[in-house]
Amino acid sequence: MISWLYLGVAVLFEIAVAFSAGNAQGFTRLWWTIATLVSGAIATFFLSLALLEFDVGVGYSIWTSVAGVGIVILGAIFFQERLNLRKLSGIAMVIGGVIGLRLSGAA
Amino acid sequence: MTNTSINQASNGRAWIALLLAGAFEIVYALSVAGSEAFTVLNWSISAIVFFLLTLYALSVALKTIDVGIGYAVWAGIGAVGSAVFGSVLFEQSLTLGQAFWLAVIIAGVIWLKLASSEKLQADESGLIAS
Repeated sequence: MISWLYLGVAVLFEIAVAFSAGNAQGFTRLWWTIATLVSGAIATFFLSLALLEFDVGVGYSIWTSVAGVGIVILGAIFFQERLNLRKLSGIAMVIGGVIGLRLSGAA
Repeated sequence: MTNTSINQASNGRAWIALLLAGAFEIVYALSVAGSEAFTVLNWSISAIVFFLLTLYALSVALKTIDVGIGYAVWAGIGAVGSAVFGSVLFEQSLTLGQAFWLAVIIAGVIWLKLASSEKLQADESGLIAS
């Protein structure tokens, strides 16, 4: 169960990576570049803790996909990006798949 | 379009960079797993190197390729590749049920990234004739 918590922390920092990299403008802006690298290091470390228990394909896919969902949801909340039916169906597939994996005993 | 051939050349390079970013991401994921929480030196170094390579290749690719499409392709390659090569390299065989749900997640994230593509949405509303 603790490995799910590690994966959750890794997801949060992966969202920070995407946000920082987006603001780093091709890594020409110093502080956003540093933020990208630091968040990436923390995300990677927590991912590595989670992967002690998860199979790599399962843990990695949950990590990157749930981060993708988080980015879209935060974009809708804070940057007024529109949530349409397609985005919602993609979010539902990711969440449904994670629940399915959890129930089918993937860590 | 006046610079069609120049655009096509840079487009080709961008797609090569994107495919490389996907391949680097697979090696990154496998290295993170192999590092066993960064206690194994070689895998740990490999994870760091391929993290930086991925970041660089992706940034080169996304200068030209639409972000939504680029992330969809990159995420798909990384997720499918790490599942396939992970099961071979670390003998982590998935059950049929797990493979099914994994496929649902990967399809979901590709779909989600494509839905976030400004280019595809603009194409559909007829703003860009491509």
